[in-house]
Amino acid sequence: MESKEVPTLQPRLRVLNREQAVTIHAAALKILEKVGFKMEHAGVQEMLTKAGCKISEDGRLKLPARLVEAALDSAPKQIVLHDQSGNEAMPLVNGNYFYGTGSDATFTLDLETGQRRRVVLQDVANFARLVDGLEHIAFVMSMGNPENVPVEDIYIHVFAEMVKNTNKPIVFIADSGRDISKMHQIACQIMGGEEELRNKPFLLNYSEAISPLRFPEKIMEKLIFCAQKGIPICLPSGSNAGGGAPITLAGALALGIAENMVGLVVHQLAGKGSPFLFGPNVSTLDMKSTVVSYGCPEWSITQAALADMRDEIYGLPVWAYGGASDAKVMDAQAGAEAMFSIISSMLSRCNVIHDVGFLEYGNTSSLEMVVMANELIAMSQFFTEGIKVNQETLALEAIERVATGEPGSIFLMDDHTFEHFMKAQFLPVILDRNRYDSWKEAGATELYQRCNLEAKRILSEHQVEPKMDETIKGINRILQGG
Amino acid sequence: MSELKALSEAVIKGDINSATAETKKALDSGNNAQDILDEGLIAAMDEVGRRFSKGLLFVPQMLRSAKTMQECMKLLESFFQEGDITSKGKVVIGTVKGDLHDIGKNLVSMMMEGAGFSIVDLGVDVSPERFVEKVHEIAPDIVAMSALLSTTMPSMRMTIEALKQAGVRGKVKVMIGGAPVTDKYAREIGADCYGPDAGSAVTKAKEILGVS
Repeated sequence: MESKEVPTLQPRLRVLNREQAVTIHAAALKILEKVGFKMEHAGVQEMLTKAGCKISEDGRLKLPARLVEAALDSAPKQIVLHDQSGNEAMPLVNGNYFYGTGSDATFTLDLETGQRRRVVLQDVANFARLVDGLEHIAFVMSMGNPENVPVEDIYIHVFAEMVKNTNKPIVFIADSGRDISKMHQIACQIMGGEEELRNKPFLLNYSEAISPLRFPEKIMEKLIFCAQKGIPICLPSGSNAGGGAPITLAGALALGIAENMVGLVVHQLAGKGSPFLFGPNVSTLDMKSTVVSYGCPEWSITQAALADMRDEIYGLPVWAYGGASDAKVMDAQAGAEAMFSIISSMLSRCNVIHDVGFLEYGNTSSLEMVVMANELIAMSQFFTEGIKVNQETLALEAIERVATGEPGSIFLMDDHTFEHFMKAQFLPVILDRNRYDSWKEAGATELYQRCNLEAKRILSEHQVEPKMDETIKGINRILQGG
Repeated sequence: MSELKALSEAVIKGDINSATAETKKALDSGNNAQDILDEGLIAAMDEVGRRFSKGLLFVPQMLRSAKTMQECMKLLESFFQEGDITSKGKVVIGTVKGDLHDIGKNLVSMMMEGAGFSIVDLGVDVSPERFVEKVHEIAPDIVAMSALLSTTMPSMRMTIEALKQAGVRGKVKVMIGGAPVTDKYAREIGADCYGPDAGSAVTKAKEILGVS
């Protein structure tokens, strides 16, 4: 049979039509023109007024839409993050998606005792090494603020710990213009110079403005620094529905986008053509506990909406979250919530998807959660790749062979099965499909225990590509303030 | 008395129009302002607090009840001499130096106010010196500090040190809260208590002052 290649539909989720996207965008521009924002960095305020912003009597800046248009024009539509050896690792373009961990958790689940305890520096190393050894987790974040390093230099220490324990791209936090320049020095040390780093960035800064419409000085220092050095940055604000933003998702999105646009305008004025990731975090404030939820459907649908707005209007890669939960232990709630955000972020083609492995609304990290998410991502990826339809996959010859063959012919014995099963099927590693008796004999384990063992195995066996001695010495010198 | 019950119910529901109408009605029919306050408004807010802690009410409902109570209070104020209305305690609150986040702090303020504390809110980015100055000025029962960032938590310690230096640490209770703050940290820096969320901030404040 002659059959030509049929294009594969890869399922893609859409949650906004064009009219909805355009209306939200118009509302964001209106917020900037009418309500304005508080800019607490004098230099940036001057830069913005020179560019055409007006200051109202109460000191708020009003930003005209044309500045947003210009910034959207000059910002690059694709960003490529590299690994620390300089290989392309995360081409952020179109519908490419990449998952990674999160930052700033106060607690972690201890790998040995299972107890929730304060994060220490070794945990940051463990998370980085674990991610380095997991196929479907593409980038590393610190997963915690350790209690055993000086708090004023906390982000420098966790950054150094990450680069020592992974070769993958890193998304990092900084406090201000002071510590970010130290981290930049470390990054230059790794790539062999500032130009080399600029050409092949392996890092992305995550900073936050404050909703509603407030831009602190320290945050602007980091934004300017990144714009000038060509370090990719994303600048969401806490425009969570019911918290920093209105309770209704359309308004929360409009506000978050407006805040993001201020960031983008400042960024492009400070470094035209520098890479900027689009996207506020729009989760929801729980109306009983007042926590910002990490397992809610609201965050999943707002980031799906942002991906739609990227496609309809902005064209910039988007920042998102997935694989996290509000549950306190890695239980059924944790699995359900993690999967909900993993598959919806993938189906809506969000680009940089962080917070994988968080429990307790981002307050506790778990190595086991990361291991579980790795497999859930693989499972979702299988679904998202769609059904390939061609002569090989239709397998008419195999059907004929088995149906008309000798008695006892089965597909399991057919060459077609042998040749295709590795790709044709999703092959779970952690998810259990054993028959009952063998599951029982093997210790009747629950998912959490299997993830725990797998995390321990990876941490003891996985080898991270080593950095040169000179590089490590250089990093240590910078750490010691030399 | 039935009028006060209707008032209570209106406050619990957060129905500002009915509650203010009931307050006026209660005054017109000769009820004592103190009784209206105690049996109508405060009793209602206690019930709201109970329902909230059981998970039967959501935060916006509780805040609406607090707002309803405040509107009713405006009608009663002229019947009290200054200082007549006893509050559960005077609280100076602020987000610490270096930190500009205020949603959590504002929520704590509103809930404490609703529970009968009188609040002086110093806003955000409040320096240790500013806290000390206010303590000298109004002699509060509690100094409450909030921080959202790990990097600004040291300002809490610095504020406690500044209170000690100024010789007023013994005169106030110190409570702290915010996402990165832990009970252990509160003990380390010598705070009197830690409130993991706004609801428990109210409970803890009552506990450390020994009021109900």
